[in-house]
Amino acid sequence: MAFPNKEPVTKEVAYMQMVQDSCIFKVVLSGVAGFALGGLVGMFFSSFEMGTADPSIYEQPMKQQLKATAKDMFQRSFSTAKNFAIVGAIFTGTECVIEGYRAKNDVYNGTAAGCITGAILAAKAGPQAALMGCAGFAAFSTAIDLYLRRE
Amino acid sequence: MAEQELEMITDTFYRIVDMCYKKCIPPKYIDGELNKGESVCIDRCVAKYFEVNMKIGEALQKKGQQTGVGGSVTGFGA
Repeated sequence: MAFPNKEPVTKEVAYMQMVQDSCIFKVVLSGVAGFALGGLVGMFFSSFEMGTADPSIYEQPMKQQLKATAKDMFQRSFSTAKNFAIVGAIFTGTECVIEGYRAKNDVYNGTAAGCITGAILAAKAGPQAALMGCAGFAAFSTAIDLYLRRE
Repeated sequence: MAEQELEMITDTFYRIVDMCYKKCIPPKYIDGELNKGESVCIDRCVAKYFEVNMKIGEALQKKGQQTGVGGSVTGFGA
């Protein structure tokens, strides 16, 4: 029994839809995207801080300098990429689970997920830092969601 | 008899569609496709509808047996 004008959905398409809606797929996708974005951002920001290398590097031949610079750049961008991937994965995972639980799609899912993510990220620095992290990340996520959902 | 049943099923179907649409899909549409929250809501809505149907059918049958009034109850559930 279906709406008369709609063409029937094939099983493969329905399965693809279900997979794309699943939480695990979203988490993986968000992790990969976060990694890529973090890599780019890290590579960009690594250009600002070359002063951490020891000064003797400037006396070595050009190839050595390039190699050391590249190594430092990749290390920095890798660590930033990892951080972005973890943050994205945690946020997307919690938001997806909360949405699945509430069975509603509104802006508060992002707020709650942001609070949990902020608290997890700041957990090592004690409960007060976790509270601040929760508030900050929740506000940030809510602002972005409201902007994306505006009319 | 089959006609009656077809009509009953169609009526049930459209009732469920109407009710679950009103309950689960907020009036502000961002996208044409159902997102995760709405899919979960609709799944739960349909499941609850059938379960409520079944329970009421059973309760009615029990009531009918107790009072001994009325014949078989041709309900939607079962």
